[in-house]
Amino acid sequence: MNKQITIPLTGRIDSTNAADAEQKILAQLEGVDAGASVTLDFEKLDYISSAGLRVILRLKKTWNDLTVENVSSDIYETLEMTGFTEMMTVRKAYRVVSVEGCEVIGEGFNGKVYRIDRDNVVKTYKNADALAEIMHEREVARLALILGVPTAISYDVVRVGDSYGSVFELLNAKSFSKLLAGEPDKYDFCVAEYVKMMKRIHAITVPEGKLPPIKERSLRRIERMKDTLPDGLGDKLLRMAREIPDSDRMVHGDYHTKNIVLAGDEVLLIDMDTLSVGHPIFELQHMYNAYVGYSEYDPEIVRQFQGYSPEIARRFWRDTLAGYLGAKDEKKINEVEEKVRCLSYAGLIEGIDRHSSGDREKDAATRALWESRLIELLKRTDSLTFDVTPEGESDPDALDVEATVPNLDSVVDFVNAHLDAADCPPKAKMQIDLAVEEIFVNIANYAYAPEIGRATVRVSVADDPLTVSITFIDRGVPYDPLKKSDPDVTLSAEEREIGGLGIFMTKKIMDDVIYEYKDGQNILTLSKRL
Amino acid sequence: MNNTAGKIDLHMHTTVSDGTDTPEEITAKVKEAGITVFSVTDHDAIKAGKIIRRSLGEGDPRFVPGVEFSCRDKDGKYHILGYGFDPESTSLNQLVNRGKMLRMEKLLDRVGYLHEKFGIDLPEDEIFGLLAKSNPGKPHLANLMVKYGFAASFREAMDKYLERLPSAAEYITPEEAIVGILSGGGVPVLAHPVFGSGREKLDADEMKRRLIKLTAVGLEGIEAFYSGFPPAVSAWLVSLAEQYNLLVTAGSDYHGTNKTVALGETGLPAPSEYPEPLRRFLDRFGV
Repeated sequence: MNKQITIPLTGRIDSTNAADAEQKILAQLEGVDAGASVTLDFEKLDYISSAGLRVILRLKKTWNDLTVENVSSDIYETLEMTGFTEMMTVRKAYRVVSVEGCEVIGEGFNGKVYRIDRDNVVKTYKNADALAEIMHEREVARLALILGVPTAISYDVVRVGDSYGSVFELLNAKSFSKLLAGEPDKYDFCVAEYVKMMKRIHAITVPEGKLPPIKERSLRRIERMKDTLPDGLGDKLLRMAREIPDSDRMVHGDYHTKNIVLAGDEVLLIDMDTLSVGHPIFELQHMYNAYVGYSEYDPEIVRQFQGYSPEIARRFWRDTLAGYLGAKDEKKINEVEEKVRCLSYAGLIEGIDRHSSGDREKDAATRALWESRLIELLKRTDSLTFDVTPEGESDPDALDVEATVPNLDSVVDFVNAHLDAADCPPKAKMQIDLAVEEIFVNIANYAYAPEIGRATVRVSVADDPLTVSITFIDRGVPYDPLKKSDPDVTLSAEEREIGGLGIFMTKKIMDDVIYEYKDGQNILTLSKRL
Repeated sequence: MNNTAGKIDLHMHTTVSDGTDTPEEITAKVKEAGITVFSVTDHDAIKAGKIIRRSLGEGDPRFVPGVEFSCRDKDGKYHILGYGFDPESTSLNQLVNRGKMLRMEKLLDRVGYLHEKFGIDLPEDEIFGLLAKSNPGKPHLANLMVKYGFAASFREAMDKYLERLPSAAEYITPEEAIVGILSGGGVPVLAHPVFGSGREKLDADEMKRRLIKLTAVGLEGIEAFYSGFPPAVSAWLVSLAEQYNLLVTAGSDYHGTNKTVALGETGLPAPSEYPEPLRRFLDRFGV
C-alpha cells in the first residue's frame, strides 16, 4: 500500500521512441500496486510530443495517483494548454537563484532573507523539509490575506543551493526593527502602526480548523517544565494557563518588529508560519520575550537580534502594550504585564532546557534569573485571564470613525445596512436612525471638545425576539446621559433647559438604554425589539 | 409556487467545451434574452458554472449547475445531463476527469494509429491545439490531413484513413454517469432522448427500452423540450415522463456560432402552461 516510486525520464519522447519509453517505464512499474504513488521526474526531459502524452495518459489510467515533477516551463505550457495539469499533479521545476553576495535583510530562526534585486527578496530555509514548510507558509499567508491581513505572499518557489526559498516582491521594504534602529523620529509611527496591526489581526475570526490553537503550544511547553518549579507552583501555572479562555481570533504567534515591514507606504505583516488562533495573552507572551524576556540576563542580545538598544526595546514593549490595552493607567498595564510574564518565563525556561546556547555557565545564570522571577510572580498571581475588547477595521459589525458631525451620514448608513439585513420595518428604522443621530451628534459635539476624538459604533442583531443593539463607545470625558433628568415637555420650547431632549427621545424610541463607564470609555448601548 | 419561473433554458455550451461564447458572454446573453432560469451543460466539464456563479447577484437569472456526459453501452450512445449537483463533489469530479481523459485518449490513439499504420505525422502544435478543445473528433483530424496534404479531400481523409482506425475501447456508461451525478447530489436527466447522442432517431420501442433501463439505475428526468423537437414529440415525451414518473427539462443545446440554434429555443409553451413534470423539476431547485 501507499508505495511511492519515482521514475526519471530523459531526453525526448516523441512518436519515434514513445513505444520504447512506455515499455521501459512499465518495466520499472512491474508488480507495483495500482494504489501506489507514481512520480515521473521530468528534470532531464527535453521534449515530449503528443505520443509521449499518450504514454502518460495510459499510465494515469492504471496508476491514478500520478505526479509529474520538475517540469520545465516549455513542457509545462504544453501540459497546461492540453489540460493535463487539471488531471494530474504537475509540479514545475524550480528556478535556481543564487544569494551569493546579496544583502541579508532579515534573519530568523529558520533561515535568512536576502534582497536579490531592487524589488524582490528571497526567504531561505535551513531545515530539511523546507519545501513542506514553504508550502505551509504560503497557504497560511493566503488564508491571512483572504481574511484581511495585509501581508506579502510569495509568488515563486526557487532552489537556493541545496535547499529551497520563497520569493516575495517587497518594494523598498524596511522592517520596523530597521526603522527603530536607524530613524528615531519614526518611533511614534512604529508604535501606532504596530498597535493598529495587532488589533486588526486580533479582531479577525478564523473559520474553524484553519489555524492551530496557540494555547496548545503554550500548554505543552508548561507541561514540560512545570515540575522544575517548587511548591506546586508549576501545577498552579498549568491550571491558570488552562483557564485562559479559548478563542477563534487570529494571533500571529511571533509578532515583533522584524516581522512587520513598511513597504512603500504600506505596513505589511510577514513571516506567517506561526499564525494561530487564541487569546491575545499568547501573542503578548512572545512579544515580551522578543523585546525584554529573552535578553533579561544579557541585554545585548536584543541589540544583536533587533538591532536597537535594550532601552528602546523595553520602551517599545511598554508603549505598544499600553496602546493595545488602550490604558493610560500604569496599574492596569502592570497587571497585564505580570500575567504575560508568567507565560513568557515558562516558555523561555522550557526553551533553554532544550537548546543550550553552548555557554553552559551563562545558560545556568540566565535560567536562574528567569526562574526566580517566575516564582516570585506565580506566588502573587491567581489568574492569567484579562479582558481585551478587540476592535479593528475588519470587524464587520463595528465602525470606528472620527467623532465629527460630517461623519454622521456614514454612521447612519452603517447602522441602516445592518437594519436592512435584519429586515427592519421602515418605521422602526426611521426611529432608530433618529436615536443614532442624537447620540452620535452628542458625542461629536461634547465628548472631546475642543479636540477631535474617535468613536466606535457597534451593531448587533439577536434573534428570538429579533432585537437590534447599537453600542457607542468613546474615550471622551465621562458622561452618563441617563443621569440627566427628563426634560419637562409640558414647558414650551423656550422655557425648556437646552439639551436633554435628544436622550429623552432616545429613551422613548428604544426599549432599553444602558450606560457604563469602563476602562476609560463611555459605553452607551441602545436596544430595540423589531 | 413557480411564481418566478419565466423563460427557461437548461442546456447550453460555453468555450469550456465546444460552444463559442465564454461563460461571461453566455451569462450576458441569457440576461439579454430574458431567460430567468438557466443551466450551462458543457461536455464532461463543470468549470463554467464556477465562473458564472461568482458573477451573479441579486435580481439576476437563477443558475442551476449543469453538465453533459457522453456515454455509450452495448445498445448505443447517450448524452446524460446532470443538474444541481455539488460542484465540489468527489464522485462528480472524478467522472468529469475520467470523461476528459477518455476523450484525450481517443484523440491520441487516433493520432498514434495514423503514425503507426500510415506513417502520417501531423504537426505537434496542431495536435496540442486539438487536445485543448473539448470534443476533438475524426472530422477535426480529417481537416488537418487535408490542410497538410495527407489527403486530397475531407471525404478521402475520412474514408481512406480515419474510418479504418479501430474505435475506442472504453467509454463512460450511462449507468456510471447517472450514479456519479446522483452521488454528487444532482439530478440525472436523459438529453434529447429521441436523438440518442445527437444524430440518431430512435423509434418508440427503443425509446421505452432505454427509459426502463436507465430509470432502473436512477435516471430522474428526460429533456422533453429541445430545439428541433416538433410539439408532438415533446408531448409524447411528456406523457412518457408521466408514465415513468420522471421529471422533464427543456434546453436549446445552444453552442454559440457552432450551431444555428438560438438561446432559449426550447419549444416550451408559455410559463403558465408548463407541464407538471417540468414544474416538479423546477420545484426541486426552489424556483
